Amino acid sequence: METKSIVAVRTTINGREHSAEVDSRLLLVEAIRDVFGLKGTHIGCLTGDCGACTVVVDGKIAKSCLMLAASADGREIQTVEGLARDGKLHQIQQSFWDEYGFQCGYCLPGMMFSAKELLETDPRPDEAAIRHALQGNLCRCTGYQKIVQAVSTAADRMSGGTNEEREDDHRDDTPTR
Amino acid sequence: MTIEVERAPREAPRRRYVGSRQKKLKGDLFVRGKARYVADIELPGMLHAAVLRSPHAHAHVKSVDVSRALEISDVVAAVSGEDARELTGPVPHFIDPAVFGGKTAEVRCLAVEKVVYAGQPVAAVVAASRNDAEAALDAIAVEYEPLEVGLEPAAGTQGGTLLYEGWEDNTIIHIPFVEGDVEAAFAEAEHTLEDEVRIQRYTTAPIETRGYVADWDTSAESLTFYGACQNPHPLRWVLSHALGLPEGKIRIVAPHVGGGFGLKMHGHPEEALVCMLSRMLERPVRWIEDRRETFLIGGREQTHTFKVAFDDEGRITGLRNNIVANVGALGAPPGWGMAFLTALSFPTGYRIPNQDVQVSIVATNKGPWNASRGYGKEATNLVMERIVDLVAQKLRMAPAEVRRRNFINKDEFPYKTNAGLNIDSGDYHGALDKALAMMGYDDLRAEQERLRAEGRYLGIGLAFELTPEGGDIPGTLVAGFDTTTVKMDPQGKVTVLTGVTTPGGGNETGIAQIVADEVGVSLEDVTVIQGDTGLCPYGFGNYSGRSMLVGGGSAALAARDIREKLAKVAAAMLETEPENLEFGEGVISRRDNPDASLPTETVAYSVLTLAFATAAMVEPTLESTRVYKPDNITHIPDEKGRIQPYPSYSSAVHLAVVEVDAETGVVDLKRFGVVHDCGTIINPTFVEGQMQGAVAMGVGAALSEELIYDDEGNLLTDRFKTYLMPRAGDLPSFEMEHQVTPSPFTLLGAKGAGEAGVGGSQAAVANAVNDALAPLGVTLRQMPLSPPNVLRAIREAAEKGGVS
Repeated sequence: METKSIVAVRTTINGREHSAEVDSRLLLVEAIRDVFGLKGTHIGCLTGDCGACTVVVDGKIAKSCLMLAASADGREIQTVEGLARDGKLHQIQQSFWDEYGFQCGYCLPGMMFSAKELLETDPRPDEAAIRHALQGNLCRCTGYQKIVQAVSTAADRMSGGTNEEREDDHRDDTPTR
Repeated sequence: MTIEVERAPREAPRRRYVGSRQKKLKGDLFVRGKARYVADIELPGMLHAAVLRSPHAHAHVKSVDVSRALEISDVVAAVSGEDARELTGPVPHFIDPAVFGGKTAEVRCLAVEKVVYAGQPVAAVVAASRNDAEAALDAIAVEYEPLEVGLEPAAGTQGGTLLYEGWEDNTIIHIPFVEGDVEAAFAEAEHTLEDEVRIQRYTTAPIETRGYVADWDTSAESLTFYGACQNPHPLRWVLSHALGLPEGKIRIVAPHVGGGFGLKMHGHPEEALVCMLSRMLERPVRWIEDRRETFLIGGREQTHTFKVAFDDEGRITGLRNNIVANVGALGAPPGWGMAFLTALSFPTGYRIPNQDVQVSIVATNKGPWNASRGYGKEATNLVMERIVDLVAQKLRMAPAEVRRRNFINKDEFPYKTNAGLNIDSGDYHGALDKALAMMGYDDLRAEQERLRAEGRYLGIGLAFELTPEGGDIPGTLVAGFDTTTVKMDPQGKVTVLTGVTTPGGGNETGIAQIVADEVGVSLEDVTVIQGDTGLCPYGFGNYSGRSMLVGGGSAALAARDIREKLAKVAAAMLETEPENLEFGEGVISRRDNPDASLPTETVAYSVLTLAFATAAMVEPTLESTRVYKPDNITHIPDEKGRIQPYPSYSSAVHLAVVEVDAETGVVDLKRFGVVHDCGTIINPTFVEGQMQGAVAMGVGAALSEELIYDDEGNLLTDRFKTYLMPRAGDLPSFEMEHQVTPSPFTLLGAKGAGEAGVGGSQAAVANAVNDALAPLGVTLRQMPLSPPNVLRAIREAAEKGGVS
């Protein structure tokens, strides 16, 4: 317990470069939250089961409690704070809000990333495909129904419209309450 | 403060928001990852605590030596139970069994002399980081003298291994609910049956664990406590007692809570512990529960042994039900009381004139219970619905018909149950018909017939569910009323401070909808503040489906006061009578001349700026604090000594369709439908969300969730890999319809939503699985209906020779 070792980590999070010297025991989710100060990524189990800590690492979703902070060196990470662009909500964010695809919000960031990855590979998923894509993310509040609806609505919004409109999946209209 | 008792719903304001699908207020915070939970709080100089837990389920603690832990760099403090005893008092019980004539035991934040469950806190370390604190736990030396472990209540009821000094047995309390002539009912019965339902230990498991940050202010000698908690004011009372600190020196703040379900009701040892450590070290101290620790807290584990008397027509005339609840060690949270309410809630929505329901609540060396969504009432529904189906099976009658014949009729309300509950209103026959039609019941039976011919086991399960809501337990801080302050500023914007809190649902939005309608402003102009004892009026937080009922009710009353004052001043300004005014969204206008109108802002500004002129007739404040206290709760015992602790009773009819693989024991939930009646609906989206979440929880309870212990009392299912909660792919989309029978006794006609669904879905699924396997002569008694339990039941039926 007196053998703490320190490693240097340089990583890009939401387009911004970060570097830090961290305890080698530190998990990626702990570094994201406590070293880089991005609290939107949540810890639910630390065993890779609940998916609350899901982020994007080099373009693929990953449970950040299953990675050491040190292994993020040189990688590009996206967290929930990086989903909106210039203040505009991503269609997935807007759809989760519009459809009440969350209650307490704790599983929400992970759910949105699992949904986003699905829609990038399968723009018009059916209900079974949506449920399959969310298998790695536990929610205790919603029974998943309105989450599934939110993903379906996001799919409609993202795959509808012209190519120009499709270019950016962020909402232009100011979000209303 | 005056308490005005009002009967509902009187001259209702023009409702723009109540009843409509509004989105969650401040939802953008959540989708942007900006909502702050307790684990997100960083305070300057904050330290981190970790808790050393007993590896023994029952042992004397001979000695605790923390000295080696203190030698480790980055460790700031290490404390034993003896140390903690010097610095804190006992943690008062949320609901002390002694209030009801039961046994009680002193609960301390760290065990002293004895541990009574594996996982009980025995020491704590505070260090610069959580990792450092946890690593240092290994350096604490504890000497235990193991004692005989008692994990089953059967021995405990007779004495067995005694958990607590001074107790003659481990039974905390035994409560009978007896009514009518049960002997005669059974003696004269045309039919009787007897059977058993064994409910497993399962729990709440919100995705956010518990967590607390305590911040001692050395100059003010006061404490700020940030916690994932459901009941800030009553928690302040607990901490005041435990810490010997006046309540005025404690501020409790509940930030956004990541799901509660009862787990975050208080009495947990770590609450007082972090406060003690912060005061001792004069620095902020944080403790965040890990997932394994969360699973130590149970909820429910009880056996129901019952006998039923009924006639040829399927009318149930008598019920005997012996309940033995294994509540684990007695903790200070309100867990044990669940089994009390299980017994109290019989026989739900059925007319059964003679009953003998007895509950024994027994302590064992398992982890303590805490409140769990449904609060024992879910177990009543599961058992009653199994009973009704067993009657139907025995008489070869349709399950729906047996229900129809035993339901309380809609013209019989208010209806007093055997235990003295006074059910406000409902239409159970109507809900049943609706559910059968929604799901196409006759077609389902035809489909079942067809599949059975192919050797497939399709099952259809029906369940009625009654959920008493908004309860008040006399002599405790479990209250059936609550308080809200509504304030309007000179710009006509409204701030609502309420005593009810949110564990993560949408009650803040619902309350804002109510206030916006009452005061006549737009929803965007209402801000709701909850969960801060420094800001909010005294209140009791969330439990028992009470937030809309009494939080919404008190908000409506306070808002009406503001409206009344605005009306007087606006009437003067518009040269008319208050009765002639209409309140729109931020506009007050004359009914007889809508062109004569004023912005609400102008009127609000005038109240404060023309106090000696135009607005002289009102006290110049736009602020009101009101209590809403439903008038049909009564704690004055009736002639039989019974009280009526609940104002309202929501109801539902559930229907599950399953297919069981008799080779593997796997149950596939194919369809699920529910007709739900929670009275007046404030926001249908949120009611649906609550019901869908509760149904999912009930399906998990029915099929897979179980806390399993080894013979030494160690929890084996301490993570999501072994404690199996439903995932998205395990569930179908639930079909749902509303039935609305407003409560005549609550201000808004609401009956509470949130708890309902757990017991109903559990029962519907259990009935469906039993129905599926009926051709094999199977009766399932052990929950959950997991593959091992299903296969065991199939095997046992086969050994007995199949269909009886």
